[in-house]
This record gives sequence, structure tokens and C-alpha cells, in this order.
Amino acid sequence: MKIKNFIITFVSAIALILSTSSISFAKVVGDKIILGAAVSLTGKYSSNGVHTQNGYNMAVDRINSMGGIKVGGKTYKFDIIYYDDESNPKRAAQLAERLISQDGVEFMLGPYSSGLTKAMAPVTEKYGVPMVEANGASRSLFTKGYKYLFAVLAPANLYLDVAIRTAVELNGGKGVKIAQAFEQDAFSQDVRLGILDAAKETGSEIIIDDKLPKELNDMAATLAKVKATKPDVLVVSGHTKGALTAIRQIAEMKVDVPMLAMTHCDAAKLSKQHGKNSQYALCASQWHKTLTYKDKWFKDGMTYDADFTKMFGYAPPYQAAESSAALLVFKDAFERANSFDQKKVRDALAATDMQTFYGNIKFAPGGQNVSKPMVLFQVICDNSGKCENKVVAPLKWASAKLIHPIPKWSER
Amino acid sequence: MINKNLIIYLSVLIFGLAAPFIFPAFKVQLSILCVLIILAITWNIQGGEMGYNSFGNILFYGLGMYLCASVQVGMFFPLAEWTESGGEKTFVHTPAQFFQGFGVGLAVAAIVPTIVAGLIGYSILGLRGHYFAICTLGLGVAAGEISGGIEIIGAGQGFTTPPFPNIGSLEARGEFFYFCSFVSLILTFIVVKSIYSTRFKLVLNAIRDNEDKAEAMGIQTMKYKIIGWMISAFFCGLAGGIMGGLVGYIDSTDVAFDGREMGVFMVLMAILGGKGTLWGPVIGATIFHIFKEGFWTFFLGWQYVALGVLIVVIVIYFPEGIMGWLREKYPERFGEVVDEADRKAQVELK
Repeated sequence: MKIKNFIITFVSAIALILSTSSISFAKVVGDKIILGAAVSLTGKYSSNGVHTQNGYNMAVDRINSMGGIKVGGKTYKFDIIYYDDESNPKRAAQLAERLISQDGVEFMLGPYSSGLTKAMAPVTEKYGVPMVEANGASRSLFTKGYKYLFAVLAPANLYLDVAIRTAVELNGGKGVKIAQAFEQDAFSQDVRLGILDAAKETGSEIIIDDKLPKELNDMAATLAKVKATKPDVLVVSGHTKGALTAIRQIAEMKVDVPMLAMTHCDAAKLSKQHGKNSQYALCASQWHKTLTYKDKWFKDGMTYDADFTKMFGYAPPYQAAESSAALLVFKDAFERANSFDQKKVRDALAATDMQTFYGNIKFAPGGQNVSKPMVLFQVICDNSGKCENKVVAPLKWASAKLIHPIPKWSER
Repeated sequence: MINKNLIIYLSVLIFGLAAPFIFPAFKVQLSILCVLIILAITWNIQGGEMGYNSFGNILFYGLGMYLCASVQVGMFFPLAEWTESGGEKTFVHTPAQFFQGFGVGLAVAAIVPTIVAGLIGYSILGLRGHYFAICTLGLGVAAGEISGGIEIIGAGQGFTTPPFPNIGSLEARGEFFYFCSFVSLILTFIVVKSIYSTRFKLVLNAIRDNEDKAEAMGIQTMKYKIIGWMISAFFCGLAGGIMGGLVGYIDSTDVAFDGREMGVFMVLMAILGGKGTLWGPVIGATIFHIFKEGFWTFFLGWQYVALGVLIVVIVIYFPEGIMGWLREKYPERFGEVVDEADRKAQVELK
């Protein structure tokens, strides 16, 4: 029965590994404020996870090089511990626990997507760790009574609300026929709820209401129905893959629809990947470089766009911009709290009222940012085939007029 | 010999009981380890002892997860309002409600999947080999898609399980879930060990080795196959219920019916440790979990590549698993009598 000896050795080996591997970081080491973040570097959200990480890194760089954070008369710099949550909520919850209890992190940045934020929020809330997140827009995040969760973005149900209202307006105030398809995840389902509300209020009718699978690669069935029923508006939401799939198949199947409203067009780099095929797509966005907000660190949207492009080699989608804004919020809160006490920082965060290049930031009691409206842009191409995202709503920032209805494929 | 065994079990027990206090920062990982071991041990009943490669055990795990959370909420509050995303109401469980709900939830999470296993087992355990594997693979995928469309359990929005009540210490939550999973693990181990010492295991092995012959011998193989699956389902459901509470958020395809990860992991762990043995899945799950956590820390972004390499290495160098490899290397330690002369004679015959 020597095998039992083996087991004993084995168990003690594990014990040894566990006891030696618990290297603990503290929240503030020397002149560093260490923030924890789990972002999706692999899995279905990996492209947006990278946008999020780049946004964070860009802001850390900028804040550190412009003098850092002044707390209690001393200057500190930001540093972030990253983990990969693999786009999996189970992993995200584990990593939140790990960042807090093993790495000793006392302040967190959010992951990408509502689902993952939903999984992490109960953990940060339990430990009283303030979390500023930039990529979890689901409305249900803000109705759970979380005290330590702050989101710099507008809730998901507002994403395409404007599109429906615009369509109704252009229809002479009469209700429109809506066809919609949404991925089965927390964010997209919330966008759907927003559309349902808007449809109810405007007397519009929903004629197709499809659910799309995660790992979205095909929505031909929905598009076939759209071709047959001829709705006034087609709404699609399913993160980056959803946007790419929709444009690809709409072009392949030559689906004519007067208005196509989507999310995640800029994260998917639609105009670059699909060129003229993506023309006329109407996209909800949290931010656009032409907006006129300003701050001290990034100056304005155009400068941010140029700096980001220089640093990472591609134009920043709004996911990156809002992630950068999260760091600015943290810096501001630390300085106003003038302390690293989690409660005081939390109270300072709750009292945030500032303008950043990304927009105004002020939190409602639920934690969502209420002072920044969504914008809608349309992909518009010129004769040479170069496509650009132009803001069409709200009118205050509009740099182009909405093209409606979308010309038929046969006339393009 | 009995004394020696007793010492082993006692030391594992003591280690298990003391672990959350010795390594307070690792409570969550340790709880997940217990859940993984339960899944590996129960998968081994089908995959190892019975020769039925099931990818469907994830069905019971996910079912248990949803059931436990639903019961825990539904006992005290309207479930539909809890899961409805735009709901402005916030419900808070009192400590008594939380624990009562969780207890009843766990019971339901164990019992209902057992019944489900009995029902579907009756219809699909007649399939053999690849057909059975493919069929069970479909079960998990289908369950994920179906649950993602049921509004009352949150559909695509996911289901946030009740937050742990504030009962003083911050450590209470971790300790509570650790002991839940540890006790379930002990329970699973004891039950599985005791059924392995009866005729039941011999019947399962007979089914694995030659099902037709077993039937010809007068064994009602169907009955045993179903009972075996029901036992697995009972503990998978229990493990799922605990995991749901531990993670705090249930998503249909990523957390509950997570065939891509958990469903594959349970097979891998059992194979790594050595299928068809009692300790194999335990050792396999432990090593797997340690490697996995290590990869996640040190190979950020490359963890799945590292995991893939590990799987290839396992298959090439340890096709029989760690226990199988040990048994081959040191047969006498497994109580096998080897006659050197006899062995040599056999080799020469070839």
C-alpha cells in the first residue's frame, strides 16, 4: 500500500506550493497605487477586452507622465494588475476574489461586458472595494443597490432608443414596423428592453423578435424573414461579432431595409473591414471623437483619437475612450478624498461631477452615469470608397445629415 | 493495513478541515477544487467504471445550479421580479432566509437531476459507444440554449444569485461555501467508495468489458446503468448548486451548462488521474486545478495553449492516467502479485 505514501507526499506538496505562492501585493506600494482589473484577453470578447486594456494603459501612461496623483501631499502613480477572464463570468468572479483576497487590491477597474461586470460586482461589493467600470451597461447592474459600483457610461437600454424615435419622427410621428435580433447576453438583451419601451411609447410594432446565439456567425434566418416582411427598421445587437455578421450577410443577401440600427460598429472597425457594404449603418455609441468635451489630460476627442492611434496603431473605439475615462475618475476621486480609505474614496466617487474628453461624468445613486447622452453615428462613404463614422444625432453635435431611407442595393 | 488507511483518511480530513484557515486567501480556489473533484469522481462512474463516455453530466450540474438559486429566491420572493432586469425592486434575504433557502435549494438541486437522469437514462442509455457520447454532448448544448430562453430564470440576462448575508465577518462567505463543497466531496467519496466495494462495481466493470456477455449472464444491465447515472446526477446537481452560490452569477452557457469548460474538464481530470480507479479522479482533479491556476497566473494570454500542451502530454505519456502509470510501474504496491519468471516467460512467448 505504498500508494498511500504517494498520496501523503502529494498532499503535502500541494500544501507547500500553496503556502509559498501567496505573494501579496498591497494597494499602495511606495509611490504606486495598484488597481486590479480582469479583462477579456481571450474568448468571445477578446477584441473589446483589448480595447478596454489599451484604454486603461493609455490613461495610466498619461496620468503618470503628467504628474501622477496627489494624495496627502505625496505624489503617487497608477499601476494595474491584469488577469484574463476569458470572457467567462465564472472566471471573472473568481478573479475578482483573487485580486482582492490574494493580491490585496483595494480598488478595481471593471471588465468588458455587462455579464462579466454582473459576476464581479457582488464580490467587490462584499469586500467594499470601489470599482469604476467602463464597459458594463446593463440596466440591471444599477438596480441591485450596489454601493461600490460606478459606471462612466450610459445604461444599455438607452443605446438605440434614439434610433427608434428618429425613425418614428421621419415617419411623420406614426409608429414603425421594427425587426430586431439580439444576442443572448446581458448587454444585448438590455438593449432589447430599451427598444421594447421605445416601441411601446411610440406605438411601433415589433414584427420580428429573434434571439441570436453567443458566438454569433450566422443570422441568415432572421434576414430571410426581414426580406419577406419588409420592416421599417432593423435592429441588431451582438457585440463585435454581431455587427460584423450582420453587415456581411446583409450585403450577401442584398437585404433592403430603410434603417439599420446597430451597436459596436466602431469596435468592429466596420467601415474598415467591410468598406462600402457597411455604408448607411446607424450605430449607437457612448463617445465620438468629434464631440466637444475637454479635459486637462487628453485635451479633447480629436487629440485623444490621434494620440491613441499613434500609440496602438488603430483609431480608438468608444470602449477604449470610456476605459480611459474610468482612470480619470479614479484620479479625481483619490485627490478629493485625499486618502486611501476605501469608504472615503467611495464617497468621493459618489460625489464625482467632472468633465472629461469623453463626456460629463456624474453618478446617479445606482452608480450609472446620468449626465452623458448617447450619440448615433452613421457610416458614410465618399466616392473614392473611403468610409467614415459621422455623428447624426443628437443635433447638437451632428456633423452630417442622416441619410434615410437607405438606398436599395439595386440602386447603389 | 486498516490502521494505515485510517491514517490517510484522517490526515486528508484534517487537511481539508484546516485548509481554509491555513490558506485563507485560497478559499475560493479550494472550494472549486472540491467541486472539480466531485465532478471527476462522478464522471468516472460512467466513463471509467462503466465504459460509457458521457458528456452529458454537465446537464445535471447546470440543472442543479439553476434549481438551487431559483428555490432560494422563490421560497421568499417572486422569482420573476427578481430576475427581471429592469426591476426597480431590490430584495434582500435575511440570514435565516438565505441559509434556509440554500439548504432546501441544495436538496432540490440534488434530487431533481437524479429523477431527470432516471428518465432520460431510460431512453438514451440504450445507445452505446460513440452514439452515446454524441447524444449526451447534445443534451448539454440543448439545455444551455433552452435555459437561455426561459425568462423566469433570467434568460440571456443571467441570474444573479442572492448575495451572502452580512453576518459579521468578511471571511464567512468563503468559509461557508468551502465547507459546503468539502462536506459534499466527503459525502460523494464515501458513497462512491462504498458502492465500489459491492457487487455494483463488478457489474459496471462487466458492462464496460462486454455488455452483451453481461446480459447473457443474466444481469439487467439497463437497471445498473440507470442507477449509476442517477448517482452521478445526484452529486453533480449538488456540486452545481454550491458552485452557483459561490460564483454569484449564473449564465446559461458560460456558467451553468458550461460543456465547453466544465464538461470537458471533468473528462480530462478523470483521464489524467486514471479512469476506473477510486483515487485517480481525485489526484487528476487536484493536479489539473493546480496547473490550471498556475498557467492562468504565469502564462497570461497563453494559458489555453499551455493547457493544450498539458493535454497532449497526458495523452501521449500517461494514456492510462497517473494511477495507471503508477500501477504499471509499481504493480506490487497495488496489491498485485507479480511472478517474475511468469512475466519473463510471457514476454518470450511473444
